[in-house]
Amino acid sequence: MIRQVRSCRDKLHAAGMVRPERLAILVEDDQLLQEGAEDLLALGRDVFAGTGAMAMMIAEPDVPLQTLIPMSIAADVHSLTPLDTETRTFLHDIPVIRRHRGPLPHREIIAALRRRKGVLVEDVGLIAVGQMTVEQTYVNLSSLYHALFVSCLLRLVRSGRFLGAAEKDLLRPLVRSLSVDIPPAFADMPSDFPDNCSAVRHAMAQAGRRTVELKLVDSFFGNVSCRSDQGVLISQTGASLDHLDECIDLVPDDNSSTAGITASSELVAHRAIYRQTKARVILHGHPKFSVIASLNCAETDCPVSDCWRECTRPRSIGPVPIVAGEIGAGGIAETLPAAMAGGIAIVYGHGVFACGQQGFRDPLQAMIALENRCRREYLNRLISIQGAF
Amino acid sequence: MLSRHYGWHGCLLHVDLNRQSIRTCAIEPQLLHSYLGGRGLGVRLLRDAHHREPCSADMPLIFAVGPLGGTAAPTSARMSVVSRSPLTGTVFDSSCGGSFAWHLKAAGFDALLVTGCSPQPVLLDIKEGTASLVPASRLWGQTVSVTHQALAGAGSCAAIGPAGERQVRYANIITSEGNAAGRGGLGAVMGAKGLKAIRVDGRRQTRVAQQSRLAQGVRDVMRLLKASPFVFGDLGISRFGTPALVDVLAQRRLLPAENFRKTLSAPAIRINAAALHQRYQPHKRGCHGCPVACKQFTEAGDKLPEFGSLGHFAALGDNPDLDGIVAAARRCNDLGLDTQSAAASLACWSEIKGDFPRVEQLPELLEMIAYRRGVGELLAQGAQRLADELHQPQAAMTVKGLELPPLDPRGGCGLALSYVTSNRGACHLRAFALSHEVLRKPVATDPLTFAGKARINTGAENTCAAVDSLVACRFALVAAGLEEYAALLTAVTGLDYTAGDLQAIGERIFLTERFYNQNNGFDHRDDVLPPRFFTSGMAAAEGADMAPVDGEAFADELRRYYRFRGLDEQGRLPATYLDGQP
Ligand SMILES: [Zn+2]
Repeated sequence: MIRQVRSCRDKLHAAGMVRPERLAILVEDDQLLQEGAEDLLALGRDVFAGTGAMAMMIAEPDVPLQTLIPMSIAADVHSLTPLDTETRTFLHDIPVIRRHRGPLPHREIIAALRRRKGVLVEDVGLIAVGQMTVEQTYVNLSSLYHALFVSCLLRLVRSGRFLGAAEKDLLRPLVRSLSVDIPPAFADMPSDFPDNCSAVRHAMAQAGRRTVELKLVDSFFGNVSCRSDQGVLISQTGASLDHLDECIDLVPDDNSSTAGITASSELVAHRAIYRQTKARVILHGHPKFSVIASLNCAETDCPVSDCWRECTRPRSIGPVPIVAGEIGAGGIAETLPAAMAGGIAIVYGHGVFACGQQGFRDPLQAMIALENRCRREYLNRLISIQGAF
Repeated sequence: MLSRHYGWHGCLLHVDLNRQSIRTCAIEPQLLHSYLGGRGLGVRLLRDAHHREPCSADMPLIFAVGPLGGTAAPTSARMSVVSRSPLTGTVFDSSCGGSFAWHLKAAGFDALLVTGCSPQPVLLDIKEGTASLVPASRLWGQTVSVTHQALAGAGSCAAIGPAGERQVRYANIITSEGNAAGRGGLGAVMGAKGLKAIRVDGRRQTRVAQQSRLAQGVRDVMRLLKASPFVFGDLGISRFGTPALVDVLAQRRLLPAENFRKTLSAPAIRINAAALHQRYQPHKRGCHGCPVACKQFTEAGDKLPEFGSLGHFAALGDNPDLDGIVAAARRCNDLGLDTQSAAASLACWSEIKGDFPRVEQLPELLEMIAYRRGVGELLAQGAQRLADELHQPQAAMTVKGLELPPLDPRGGCGLALSYVTSNRGACHLRAFALSHEVLRKPVATDPLTFAGKARINTGAENTCAAVDSLVACRFALVAAGLEEYAALLTAVTGLDYTAGDLQAIGERIFLTERFYNQNNGFDHRDDVLPPRFFTSGMAAAEGADMAPVDGEAFADELRRYYRFRGLDEQGRLPATYLDGQP
């Protein structure tokens, strides 16, 4: 168990989404295992048993969302609905525990964690729980982080509220990081289509790993596939992009085997793209600024209320189209293929699909370029609204 | 009754067949709030009767629906049939879909409780708020399909076949839509009461406290079902039914052959979803209002077998014949026999005898079982009793007398542990370890390690007990969880339930069952797998052999499980356990 705890801790550190010294992990398996910052562990010990969970993670995110978000919403708001599709699907709403400068309301935290997978606690950070495994808790924490990051940053450029000096101080490290591009680290990747099955699997694992190493995406969300003579090779559902080696299913085109019932929920979208385009490989992930850009719609007085499913207005980031459609059987397979003509498209509030006719180099390059463009445009917009940092 | 209730009607229909009397009575709100419905309510209603003999007149047979039944909550048109099993001697509940449960709820009842024994065969006819007993001597002796045809009309019907009438220990109750309350022989309990069938027709709506919250909750669950590869994926059960599991289970070496002496690998292709589709071009149908609709039917309207029936009948030989298997499963349903226990009992008998039946011999053998003719008398006792009788107890692939489903415990440590801790005997659906060990939901776990599985199974058993009491379908759990179903329950009843609350309710239900079993003499000596799984691996024609279950690791994890459950080393709860329970 301690091995699982350390592996999740290391993943969190590597992903850079939490401050390494501000993380606590508690696990109950016969006895209580604890690892991390003592003050956070003390809070954990007070609330953990009451939640009935198997594991709990308490973390301060790299961007201080626990302070920025409460500052940006009304004092009587006690939950946030994630805007991005995938977290919206799995988290529904995120309780926000306000402390109004008082002591931590432990009972309120427990009650929220008996209802939801994670919460934001003002001035403390994110708390996520898992019922089954430590890794599940890690997945819940990353979903929570992703949802709140997107929601917080979108609010900074849309709410019309001007930031105070304190908020600007908190945001300065993020702003600085945005002026540096994600490096175009794909030169070592084969540009040709892999010529045998094991080379295909190797190329898929490499592409997945690279998106995570570049911090282009969080490891748990996304999938990778490859067209082969025998069908589609695709990463399994819930597989982590940086550990795909053993997690790839072969799905024959004629469904002569349903062993791929464990394949990614986006199998149907990947298959539709292969049917309707010349693509031979597909890379899908949730780069945060591409997601934010897709949600930052300038339309006013639009009749559509469910943008995730119903938006039909042609929008794009430069040449990259944005389409609507929910995951799995939720409609994405109908909208996406036609948008893939240029090799890359954004699904509204969800993530990026990039395809290639050779190896994974082209789609990775396209995804990095798009995310860098979205990062720069976000930064420019933030500064144009909020002034210099 | 209790018109202030949302979700529940607060009403029980009690039929006493000794006196041929029928009355309705109120159910205490606190019991409904604390046990929900379905399995939980049924188990609670059994409290004063759990020690009675399974097929005795005073043993209740309970049909319980849940608070979500009759609402828009997805997959909620289900009930649990609860009694004590003549096969296992344990408390037993069978979750059953179709539209019988929907009609029972719509007739205004949360539960139907049948006691006594009718001197003449009867039919129970339930309409909204009322019920009557009708002589059914004409139907006694008829098959399930003939009985259903004779009673066809508005509403739904649940009937037993010749197997239930003759109290075969694994006789099922089967609804007119083809859904079974299966496994533990509750059809024999019904047969012992002289109750041939129950017909129910209701139209009453379930009152919902907060319609807009319910609509929101339904959207949340639907989004998860659509995001689930297992449910609505291209290869999922909505398209292919539960046979969609065959290929992945064969790939993981989980499908047994010849009474768990081999694994079914390549031959599984002959019985997989693709083979069924090619052969029968099935139509899909679902339980009442279910968006998933995982049941598959032929053009002629015959129900095609589920994964469990396919797997067990295929396991009888090394050259599975699809038509023969489909015909055997259909024959079982018509006779009112449990497909899995029938096939598994045949496998046990075949191993002892040293010769497995050919598929064309199956219809005759199944008939002999249902009518208890010739060797059928022995086979009708189930694998454990027949193996004991033939002095080969090690040939019985059973736990607490229930035959294993066609899922080899050597292929999944969580699965192996769940077989022995299940309160109704070997069953993969009580902790549903397949969900994480095979289907990777809600998170993938390593099937070949025991580490963490006691803790996971404890939580999962509680979750499953809660879901069986709402009542919702186990398959929805692969996509959604207690978090989403608690929101639905809150919207329907207007009472605040969290996922944590449902876990606690599930735990109460599970431990109550364990406590009843304990009172009936069960303890740690019954929490054992057949020795075969610890001593021999599975040899397959191709691929690596699967190792036997590591006995020491298994025992360690079982001890850990006992600690999580608050049991002593003999696997026992404190004798006062029920004192604090509502
Ligand atoms: Zn995605």
